[in-house]
Amino acid sequence: MSALLTGSAPVLAELNRVLTRKLTAINQYFLHARMYRNFGFEALNKHAYKASIYEMKHADALIERILLLKGLPNLQELGKLFIGEEPEEMLQLDAKVQLADIQVIRSAIGVCEQAQDYVSRELLSEILEQQEDYLDWLQTQLDLLKQLGQSNYLQSKIHQE
Amino acid sequence: MYVCLCKGVTDKTIRQAADDGVTSMRELRALYGVGSQCGSCTSCAREVLSEHLATRQQKFQQLPTLPIAVCYA
Repeated sequence: MSALLTGSAPVLAELNRVLTRKLTAINQYFLHARMYRNFGFEALNKHAYKASIYEMKHADALIERILLLKGLPNLQELGKLFIGEEPEEMLQLDAKVQLADIQVIRSAIGVCEQAQDYVSRELLSEILEQQEDYLDWLQTQLDLLKQLGQSNYLQSKIHQE
Repeated sequence: MYVCLCKGVTDKTIRQAADDGVTSMRELRALYGVGSQCGSCTSCAREVLSEHLATRQQKFQQLPTLPIAVCYA
């Protein structure tokens, strides 16, 4: 019975790779959120905090999936955090990390498809959808920042939306 | 951007250090402790340093070697 529910090695490796990126993103977004709050940009804090919690939920789903497939979720490994010094740079770095995550998830979906692990693929595509939503929000903020100018944009982020 | 979070070293600090004559990771570590705690930033710090050194090198090469007219008489 256990032989039936064992994930293939490449799928487990991909799931762990995505998990590492998730664990890294949790910390990056959380630190950015609280930095925004410290600067007084409550509206930006709210979004970054929510993004961090979503990453946590994704990590949770991946951990459970890896365990179900008889793998060992690697919670030890953590990537480099890209922490900005001011809001514009913080948004740019979050967008950069989010985009890189999307590319990793896309290739992981391909591996799951090849191994006929359709449930893992489904899980990853759900995660991908939320990733794309957040990347879109980040890119909108960067566009707004360019159009309104930094001071006008930041003024609109002082009060919670 | 913070290149090294453990020691709070930014990319600006590294570029300034390169302008002040730092050319290796070893010197950077001795001066600011970059990469001396968790080591996650080593490759990023090396990238920032070598990139900045390369642009500096290029800038110097574009400068005329002798800005003044020399009289060989």
